[in-house]
Amino acid sequence: MSVFGIRGLRALAIGAALFGSAGLASAGTLDEVKKRGSLSCGVSQGLSGFSEKDAKGEWRGFDVDVCRALAAAIFKDPSKVSYVPLSPTERFEALKAKKIDVLSRNSTWTFEREAELGLLFAGIAYHDGQGFLAMRKQPTTTALELGGAAICVQDGTSTRPNLADFFKTNSMTYREVLVTSPADAVKALNEGRCDVFTADQSALYAERLNLAKPDEATILADVISKEPLGPAVRADDTRWFNLVKWTLFALVNAEELGIGTATVEDAPKSAKPDVRRFAGVEGGFGKQLGLGESWALDAVRAVGHYGEMFERNIGSQSRFGIPRGLNQLWSNGGVLYAPPMK
Amino acid sequence: MPDVLSVIDRFRPAGAALVLAAVLGFASPLAALSPTRVPSPKAERITMDVGDEPGRISTEEVTIKSGPFARQMVFFRSNEAPGTIVIHTSEKFLYLVMPNNRALRYGIGVGREGFQWSGLVKVTRKAEWPDWTPPPEMITRQPYLPRFMAGGPGNPMGARAMYLGSTVYRIHGTNQPETIGQAISSGCFRLANGDVVDLYPRVPVGTKVVIRHAAQI
Repeated sequence: MSVFGIRGLRALAIGAALFGSAGLASAGTLDEVKKRGSLSCGVSQGLSGFSEKDAKGEWRGFDVDVCRALAAAIFKDPSKVSYVPLSPTERFEALKAKKIDVLSRNSTWTFEREAELGLLFAGIAYHDGQGFLAMRKQPTTTALELGGAAICVQDGTSTRPNLADFFKTNSMTYREVLVTSPADAVKALNEGRCDVFTADQSALYAERLNLAKPDEATILADVISKEPLGPAVRADDTRWFNLVKWTLFALVNAEELGIGTATVEDAPKSAKPDVRRFAGVEGGFGKQLGLGESWALDAVRAVGHYGEMFERNIGSQSRFGIPRGLNQLWSNGGVLYAPPMK
Repeated sequence: MPDVLSVIDRFRPAGAALVLAAVLGFASPLAALSPTRVPSPKAERITMDVGDEPGRISTEEVTIKSGPFARQMVFFRSNEAPGTIVIHTSEKFLYLVMPNNRALRYGIGVGREGFQWSGLVKVTRKAEWPDWTPPPEMITRQPYLPRFMAGGPGNPMGARAMYLGSTVYRIHGTNQPETIGQAISSGCFRLANGDVVDLYPRVPVGTKVVIRHAAQI
């Protein structure tokens, strides 16, 4: 009788544990996504290089590739994404209201957005920052040589106080030329009303292409503000948060390990333990995320490693030609550093 | 060093190219450091199919003016001292490290698949409008190349050359500026003539040159 009692208790405890975990899992975003059969990804309403619809009506860009990598990790199929274009004002509400599973829309990771809005940023996909586009008339090589320049800056943005701070800190003066939009700034540069335009660097590379003579403008290496952009998720589902975070890390680790479009099929045959764990041959990490063992390889198969994704959408293979800069691996002069998969 | 790809093209599929190179005992000891790998079909497609054009004229003024391969100052964190040259083979960029987390970046043409290498060398010699004496291993692969060509605007070595250690490799100019950003050479690093002329006075003999290659799985 007593033996039965202990067994019964044990069975009850196991049952409760199973029920408990099952209960948690059923409320999880991953299970909802799997049930729905597609990932709902919040993107911008159209930003060249990051997320925009091409001529065929298909979404393309750096932020879009993050969605595709996630879909590939979950479904082995990067096309299983439904894109939800969102304006800057509605993006976080849409995420909180569960209209989307993940927001991959050039959003800056800030304190307020995590602490006040109850969101979590899964990592930094792109380190952006305020920079300077300068006409080549003066052979300027650093922002510290911009003293006395006429600088176009968009009114009502955080770039304006940043600009003032930077010049004050470096004891330089400048003439402010207020513009209402990036297009207005391009016009002013073409007409010679200002020598320099300041905005986030990603925007400067896009706007440079709109100049009458893009070759006569250069974008200085200086970055005077921090604009870390990355995918955001709701804070109440750490399992999903981990999945998004580690998919992003996987893309960075893939570059460091040399796993790219050209080598992805050879990865499971590699003798290196790091590569074997990445490929899912060892370690069983896919299961821990609730995914198949080849999740990381599936993500790389879909979009390439981080470097390939960068160069294709916004880097040297795109019309923007943005240098890797901060977005280079830590070992190659940048700050991209992903924890190891072990 | 510049060379012709068409010879190798006859032996496609490309795996044969490497086998051929191996049979002929290709390249220098440094080239042997880099693991030989059969090029994937994708890598092959982006390889530019162009040979050397000895005699084709390119002047000192030719620089890459636009796009990512134009000479530009970029953000670059490095533990290397200012003045060091860092070459990223897979990115096709040459960085001249500057103080304050900066580097002057030049677009380069690099060795084609199987001819890429990594290592640490020093600039041992510099020359303006260098003569071109294709090394024996290149002549073996491409017997129709001239044995010697005097320096000048039609020389594939271009306007300037910086000799790397005791290897057969150089950082040099080119009479084919459109090959910048491509992987087509025999292991040398080529810059447009105007860009190599710009780099030349910034690089004294003895400069440390770090050649980096992407990880191999």
